[in-house]
Amino acid sequence: MKGRVYDIQGFSIQDGPGIRTTVFLKGCPLRCPWCHSPESQQFHPQLSWMASRCVGIEDCGKCLAACPRLAISPGKFAENPATQKTIRHIHIDRTKCDNCGECASVCTRKALYVCGTDYTVDDLVARLSKDIPFYEHSGGGVTISGGEPLSQSEFTLQLLTALKRRNIHTAVDTTGFAGYETIQSILPCTDLFLYDLKHMDCAQHRTVTGVANELILENAQRIARAGGKLQVRLPVIPSFNDSEENVRETGIFCKSLGNAVTLIQLLPYHNLGVMKYQRIDDSKPVLEAPVPSDEKIAALRRVLEDLQLPVTVH
Amino acid sequence: MYKLSPLTDRVARIREKYRTTRPSICTARYRIVTEFYQENPQLQGILKRAKNFKSICEKLPVLINEDEVIVGWQAAKYRACALYPETSFSWFLDELKAGTIPLRDVDPYDIDPEDVEYILSTGDFWRKECLSAKVDEYIPPGYHKAAGNGVTTFGVKDTCTSPIGHFTANFEKAMRKGFGAIKAEAQQKMDKLEGVLFGNNVEKYNFYRAVTIVCDGMITLSRRYGQECERLASTEQNPARKKELLEMADCLNWIMANPCRSFHDALQCMFLYQIGLCLDAQQHGISFGRVDQYLGSFYEADIAQGRISHSRAQELLDLFYLKVAEMNKIWPYFATLSGPGYTSGQLMTIGGVTRDGKDATNPVSFMMLQSAGRLVLHDPPQSLRIHKGTPPELWEAAVETTRIAGGVPTFENDDVIIPALMARGLPLESARNYCLIGCVEPQGCGDEWACPGGNGTEAFFNLANAFLLAINNGCNPMPDRHGKRSGQTGLPTGYLYEMETFDQVLDAVKKQIEYFAAWHVSLVNTFEYVASEHMQLPLLSATIDGCMESGKDVMKGGAKYNSTGNAAIAIGNITDSLAVVKHMVYDKKLISARELYDAIMSNWEGKEDLRQTILNEAPHYGNDNEYVDVFARWVSDVYGNAINSATGPRGRWAAGLFPVTAHVLFGMFTGATPDGRKAGEPLSDGISPVQQLDRNGPTAIIKSVSAIDQKKFSNGTLLNMRFHPSALSNETGKEKLIALIKTYFALGGMELQFNVVSAKTLKDAQANPKDYRDLVVRIAGFSAYFVELYKASQDDIIKRTELSL
Repeated sequence: MKGRVYDIQGFSIQDGPGIRTTVFLKGCPLRCPWCHSPESQQFHPQLSWMASRCVGIEDCGKCLAACPRLAISPGKFAENPATQKTIRHIHIDRTKCDNCGECASVCTRKALYVCGTDYTVDDLVARLSKDIPFYEHSGGGVTISGGEPLSQSEFTLQLLTALKRRNIHTAVDTTGFAGYETIQSILPCTDLFLYDLKHMDCAQHRTVTGVANELILENAQRIARAGGKLQVRLPVIPSFNDSEENVRETGIFCKSLGNAVTLIQLLPYHNLGVMKYQRIDDSKPVLEAPVPSDEKIAALRRVLEDLQLPVTVH
Repeated sequence: MYKLSPLTDRVARIREKYRTTRPSICTARYRIVTEFYQENPQLQGILKRAKNFKSICEKLPVLINEDEVIVGWQAAKYRACALYPETSFSWFLDELKAGTIPLRDVDPYDIDPEDVEYILSTGDFWRKECLSAKVDEYIPPGYHKAAGNGVTTFGVKDTCTSPIGHFTANFEKAMRKGFGAIKAEAQQKMDKLEGVLFGNNVEKYNFYRAVTIVCDGMITLSRRYGQECERLASTEQNPARKKELLEMADCLNWIMANPCRSFHDALQCMFLYQIGLCLDAQQHGISFGRVDQYLGSFYEADIAQGRISHSRAQELLDLFYLKVAEMNKIWPYFATLSGPGYTSGQLMTIGGVTRDGKDATNPVSFMMLQSAGRLVLHDPPQSLRIHKGTPPELWEAAVETTRIAGGVPTFENDDVIIPALMARGLPLESARNYCLIGCVEPQGCGDEWACPGGNGTEAFFNLANAFLLAINNGCNPMPDRHGKRSGQTGLPTGYLYEMETFDQVLDAVKKQIEYFAAWHVSLVNTFEYVASEHMQLPLLSATIDGCMESGKDVMKGGAKYNSTGNAAIAIGNITDSLAVVKHMVYDKKLISARELYDAIMSNWEGKEDLRQTILNEAPHYGNDNEYVDVFARWVSDVYGNAINSATGPRGRWAAGLFPVTAHVLFGMFTGATPDGRKAGEPLSDGISPVQQLDRNGPTAIIKSVSAIDQKKFSNGTLLNMRFHPSALSNETGKEKLIALIKTYFALGGMELQFNVVSAKTLKDAQANPKDYRDLVVRIAGFSAYFVELYKASQDDIIKRTELSL
């Protein structure tokens, strides 16, 4: 059994308690326009191209010859930031590209690379076990994130089981959008859910993310009833969910879950992910909004604190 | 939460003066010493040094600046440095003649035209009289052939530009016993010996005689300052300052001759003894040792008796820190490149355990961090000793301080250092009482003469060049700074393209490292042989445990414990180079040995694709990849074993892995290396991975560097990390950083230091230096104001991988 991973990040210090290593699984059923990891959305491996590493077709151009489908052609002129020289970038015809990665294998600068690597549970556990000393000294562990880990639910379950067998603390970062039986299967080996609540209003939730929120809210309640722990994450997205009213309702919902909720994290919107869309030529509309002000975040924090909820801001 | 309290107005004024005054050169010491040496050719050995010191103490102008309470100075002018012609002077005369000293791009110094004239008219005397000239005569002829290798860092001429040692005196003895009692003890020993100077008694007798002379010198210097305070008090109009000056006079007239009575006495005694040591031995790397341990009980007694308030004590400590920060010394231009930013290496040690193994934290431990944080000083550098019982409040204060003043303090691991020192011969109690010297070098505090800076000559060993010589039949492919290419300077180990197996490469590298380690030791031992005749240190020996008992100077092996230190640089580059050769040539057979050899010998000319493949696809140290990390272990073992098994005149050698900023300087003279580094680029720093090739974050770096058996390196190791400020932006970030350090230490790490600054800020500071006057960054063995560094050194810091989330 293999899982598809698009990144593994050590020293993750905002994805649960202690120092953690986070595994990012590829593929997500939601399409949140603020997503800062567009490469996490598709389930299949994707050819990515990082402009800043490309030295241009005059000095290199090996990818053009390497592509068996002739999907790469000369692209726009641009400045090489290292040399200030004008160079000619490449153009990838995504309708022809099948993400085979032949071009990436000849790209010595790693401007082209395939995002998405398949791992067996054993290989991944071996990698994650290397960081055990850090988990032990910090009260940390492994976080499985995505994409949506529950979309690769069998792999996630096997991975969690293997981690628990090594006595590693586990967290699953999820949208909560999955059948409850899937969640139920991983509950015994999930120490903490990092659980996104993007909007309390169902219609709004559906309009923006593409899915309704009933299942998500219901799953949260069932996790709480089953004794699971939740660290609720609230991305603060300007003019979508950043009203005090929505935050208050989210807080009240969290209160209703009793002591299952260990912490609420406010995650202010940032636009650092915008450039990542270009790498995979994702032309879907991306939210480009101003970053919420400190005052705004402080006000939202107070709303939650007034409800006697533990809050942090990242 | 940890908070900084505000500075007093007086302290703020002095700090401003410090940051806005350009350092200059003062000839007061030079004039006194030149006259003394010219008038006293009949005096040699230890008595010459003792009397020379006493003459300085009697004649050097005493300088008390406005607002000062802690006094003592090495020159006649504020922020001026002294000259030390006795050790090495030709370089200074040459630079002075060239007129470049005030115009340097790094650490310029002003000098009066009148002084230039005086030095030029008298300086030639020193060309043959200085220690360097004497050492040159003793260099074994074979080294003239081996020089130019780029592995050892000696020239064959003018080798003694570094000071003697790097050491810490026994400050507690100076405070608790005083030089009056030390002198009386020496006198008693002389009285017993006089008339029965059999056997070695002559040496002992004259050692004690020298001790009485330097004790007089120290007492004289202190009293002259006391008298100056009285003189200033007599004309002072402000009654508060007048009272203060009289208190200062009382302190200065009392200390040195007598045991200290108060926190103020102890602080003043510590600083003035330090000034004495620097005036005698030449400043650099003369460290203070366990300052909180010396001062803690004085502070607590004063507070308990109501003799001082906490805020006054903190102000005195601030003033003491500023005095230390104001000190500096001019180096030859090229040596400056390996230690830029007017640094003086007067390291202070905080925390740790006591001799009986208990937590040593006291209120002064916190006050020291408070001073460093609220003054935003790069100097004095500070090291925090960590053990399992280090209180969380001290951890927090330290992490917060390092965020404000980059790399102050460094974190040192008692659990590794104490056993490492015991392995080099210190008993448990002494090892527990260790302090750090210079950059990161552990040493018994007050009872060991460890010469961690390599006893007066450059202590560095360039592993990257050892590798290049190993695959180039013993020839350094890079010309020296005069453009001269040396011939075959190492062993004829053949060429890479002749080596059929990777084991042959390893064998060649091992041979070259061992060969040059033996040469390096030979030269430093030669240096010590000559220096121990001409440059004994009676003022230091007066307090170091063992000397008064044995009747011998530290330079003659009088200290209770002895060793000699060395440090290797470029572990990252040699580790990566070995891994690249193995991976590309022998394992994967992606290229032939000949191709790789030609590529590096031509500095990658026309081989950019190959270089990129190496940078991006070959395994690199710092990523928790065992394939590479085994070579970090292997090469450090080869070097460490070679050095640790060597002996000097006083005992064994001790290996270390740290660079000051020598990695930038030596990089300029190191050819291209197989890890993808181009000729002239900086080498890697300490045991840190090669810049920007550590791609998997701080946990992977820590796992990789832990592959090195660090307890083998009792002369210190250094791991430098740079974090983006976001990593420390909230309380949990700090907790997690502390957990990261604890994990590193549990994995066997010895030392860790870090900067918390973004590359964006650093680039902006480079472009707009005026806006970033007080930005302190950790360079390697020390910190500096970023804007006072030269560009290559700034670029090196910017280039270091930024670790965040």
